[in-house]
Amino acid sequence: MKSTFRIALLAAAAAAALPGFAQQPNPLDAVPEKMPFDMPYGTPIALDRAEAAIAAAVAEAKKRDWKMNVTVVDSGGNLVAFQRMDGAQLASIKISQHKAATAAQFRRETKAFEAGIQGGFNYLMTLDGVIGSRGGIPLVDGGKLVGAIGCSGGTGSQDEVSCKAGAAAVNR
Amino acid sequence: MKTRPQLTLEDCLKISAAAEAEARRNSWIVAIAILDDGGHLLHFARMDGATPANAGIALEKGRTAAISRRSSGKWEEFVKGGRTAMIKMPGILPVQGGMPIMAGGTCIGAVGVSGVQSHEDEQIAQAGIDALPKG
Repeated sequence: MKSTFRIALLAAAAAAALPGFAQQPNPLDAVPEKMPFDMPYGTPIALDRAEAAIAAAVAEAKKRDWKMNVTVVDSGGNLVAFQRMDGAQLASIKISQHKAATAAQFRRETKAFEAGIQGGFNYLMTLDGVIGSRGGIPLVDGGKLVGAIGCSGGTGSQDEVSCKAGAAAVNR
Repeated sequence: MKTRPQLTLEDCLKISAAAEAEARRNSWIVAIAILDDGGHLLHFARMDGATPANAGIALEKGRTAAISRRSSGKWEEFVKGGRTAMIKMPGILPVQGGMPIMAGGTCIGAVGVSGVQSHEDEQIAQAGIDALPKG
């Protein structure tokens, strides 16, 4: 009885010591009117366009003497095309595939997850199929998502540069 | 020190293009995977209309040939010959269509194909390998 009272007192003291803690609005409570990243899924990307995206990403990397693994998946997140540049690191084979699949299945750049996790939204790491690293970008045709490209091998920022070159080559 | 040849991306582009041409010539639609001798993916292409399942099967056939240094069809023969225990070999898909790439007397990688009948898959894989200069 006595200890319960002491705990209640301690809790009250803690609340007083952190003024406004309970009132702090949780950003996740906000209900936006529209769905974010509400892009419709389109026809799965054709092999020739997937290979054009990869060729552009590889060319960008080659220009800078970077060694990348580059993956393109279709609108279902399934592997369509892949290239490993000479000397690219092995771990990045899977990472590039993961980035591409994540970008397709969440319809957003994987950078969004990286930024969210960095910003303290650690719950993002509990979502299925998430990768918190930039370098995965959706491929878009006429406002519809037709696939995604993922690059890995360097720093996230290097991966993103290659990736953007690849996406720019085919997005329309 | 022992040295051995290594597949470059340029080699892979040649192999994949030749394999795809062989498939097209026969109006076949397939997925083509090229791996190094460690079973790691080097190049992949899934032709329009080939299924996601074909992608996974091509990879596994290729990996089988790469890490065992023999065709995945050879493993299928073992199983057909009664060695059903071979189904449980780790990392082995005992289905024809994965071919090792031999150079300088060693295995430097493999090609795996899936999409048509298994012997046709193998024909495509071999056509890809044949595009490499001999040696």
